[in-house]
Amino acid sequence: MSTLIMIDQPPYGAWTGREALDMAFSLAAFDQPASLLFTGAGVNWLRQSQDAGGIGQKTVEKNLSAAPIFGIEAILADRASCKSYGLEESSLIDGVTLVNNDAALLSEYDHTAFAG
Amino acid sequence: MSETASETFTLVITGAPYSSQAPETALGFAQAAVNAGHRIDRVFLYGDGVHLASALCAPPSDETHWPEEWSRFLADHSISGVACIASALRRGLVDETEQKRYELPAANLRHPFEIAGLGEWVEGRIKSTRTLYFHAGD
Repeated sequence: MSTLIMIDQPPYGAWTGREALDMAFSLAAFDQPASLLFTGAGVNWLRQSQDAGGIGQKTVEKNLSAAPIFGIEAILADRASCKSYGLEESSLIDGVTLVNNDAALLSEYDHTAFAG
Repeated sequence: MSETASETFTLVITGAPYSSQAPETALGFAQAAVNAGHRIDRVFLYGDGVHLASALCAPPSDETHWPEEWSRFLADHSISGVACIASALRRGLVDETEQKRYELPAANLRHPFEIAGLGEWVEGRIKSTRTLYFHAGD
């Protein structure tokens, strides 16, 4: 049963994205295939060289870098969302695959989930 | 409603009572499912949804007491209600074990809810025929 965990919230305004990441890591820890899709404002998670020290938070880049270690199958980003937030492929962190967030993509997974 | 095979459900509630409709919608669904002969395997509270398991909510008497309603439903139907431990600890919802572990002044987990990890959600997804999410919708 493959699962796509979707993150559509920006990284620092809400906690739901971090909790979505925990869901994905938890699936992977129990050997359930899981991938992450960043879409909408969620693509800002993938911006290189973040520094969240000014708001007393850890950068999500660090949390995300654990994804391959946990066994997350893919980190996907919606192409159109990246474009609307001015994110070129070169300004994304390593290991991200650009996709179109559409019905064809979702049909590749048995299950999709948001954290909130 | 047409005759359909009996389903087993895992319900995930991520919206808090009194700031979202999620616990109310989920309870309405759960009651209808049980009445129709389906089974609720477990209810998993995640994110802000953990506030539903607080023993300290005291809404005005002319408003529905959602934590109480949910507790009663779970107890009446012997359904397991689990609050995610990471979400719960962040938001100040603890049982006596966590109270002792973190040396906190009180415990406030409402019976019959329990505190456990995301593994409960993972297991529910595998065991149940369907998993439904009730979000805050914002």
